[in-house]
Amino acid sequence: MALKYRAILFLVILIWFTGIFTEWFIKYDEHLLFALPFLKKSYSLVCHQQPAKLILFDGGETLTCARCTGIYAGALISAFVFLFSSKLKLPGIKFLFIPVIFMLGDIFLYSVHIYSYSKNIAFITGLLLGSAGFFYLYAGLKNLIIEIKNRE
Amino acid sequence: MKKYISSLVTGFGAGVLQIVPFLRSFSCCMIIPLASFFSLLLNQMATKSREKISSKNALLFGVMTGLYAALFGTIFEIFITFITKHNDIIATFPELQRMVENFPVSPEIKTEVLNIFQNVRNEILTYGFSVLYTFSVLINNLIVDTIFGAIGGLIGAQVINNRLNNRIN
Repeated sequence: MALKYRAILFLVILIWFTGIFTEWFIKYDEHLLFALPFLKKSYSLVCHQQPAKLILFDGGETLTCARCTGIYAGALISAFVFLFSSKLKLPGIKFLFIPVIFMLGDIFLYSVHIYSYSKNIAFITGLLLGSAGFFYLYAGLKNLIIEIKNRE
Repeated sequence: MKKYISSLVTGFGAGVLQIVPFLRSFSCCMIIPLASFFSLLLNQMATKSREKISSKNALLFGVMTGLYAALFGTIFEIFITFITKHNDIIATFPELQRMVENFPVSPEIKTEVLNIFQNVRNEILTYGFSVLYTFSVLINNLIVDTIFGAIGGLIGAQVINNRLNNRIN
C-alpha cells in the first residue's frame, strides 16, 4: 500500500483516538464544550461508557471505556508501525483469535468474580486486540486498493 | 437490493442491540463489526458459495449493514423517545450540568451550552421530539455505523477467506 494511503489511515485513526480525550482539550479550546455532548453520543454508539470503566485523567475522563480505548490505542500503534514498514506479512488467523480469547477470558473472569474488574487488564487486552485486528483491516484495505487498480 | 438481504437482517439486529442498554454494555464496540461479519457469513451460506470474498464485496456488505443498523437504530430511538418522552439526554442532564460547571471555561460558554441542552430536554419532555436531537442521532448513526460496518466487513472477509484457505489446504 502506498505511503499516502497508510498516512491517511494513520491520520483517521489518530483523529478518532484523539477524540476520546476531548475533555482534556477543552481547557485549550473552550468551544469544544459545544461538541462534547455530540461526541459523547458518537462514541456511545461503539462503547457502553459505564462511568466506572472510563479512564480518568487530568481534567476529565475518556469518552470510551478502558478496553475500547485500548483497542483504538492498539490500532493506532499498528498503524504507526505500518507507516514505516508496509511489507509486514499477514499472520495466520490464530494471531487474531489469541487476543480475542484473552479479552473474552478477562470479561468472563471478572463477570464470575474470580477477580475484580481492572482498567489496566481491560486496556491491555483491548490493546492486543486492536493491534492484531489492524493487521486484518490493513490486509482488507490493501486488497481493496489492488482490486480497484486492477479494474482500472 | 436483494443481494444485501443478509445485511438487512444483521443490520436490523445491530440496530436493536444498539438501543438495548444491557445488551449494548455486553457487546460494546463489537456490535456493528460483528453484524457485518455475520452478514458476510449469512450471504456465503445463502449462496452456498465456496469462493473467496472480494474486498470490494466485503466493503459493500459492511457499509450496507452499517446503513441498515443506522436506519433502524435511529427509527427505534426516535420512536421510543416519542412514546416515552424520555431518553439518555433527559437521564444524563443533571450529570451534564455538573460536568459543564466543573470545566474551566467562561460562564458565557457554560450558559450557552446548557441552554442548548435545556431546550432539547424541554422539547423532548413536552413533545417527545426534538429536531436537533433527531438530526444529531441520525448523523451520528450514519457516520459511525457505516465506518464500523465497513471495518467489520473488511476484517470479516479476511477471517472467512483465511478459513476457506485452510479448508482448501
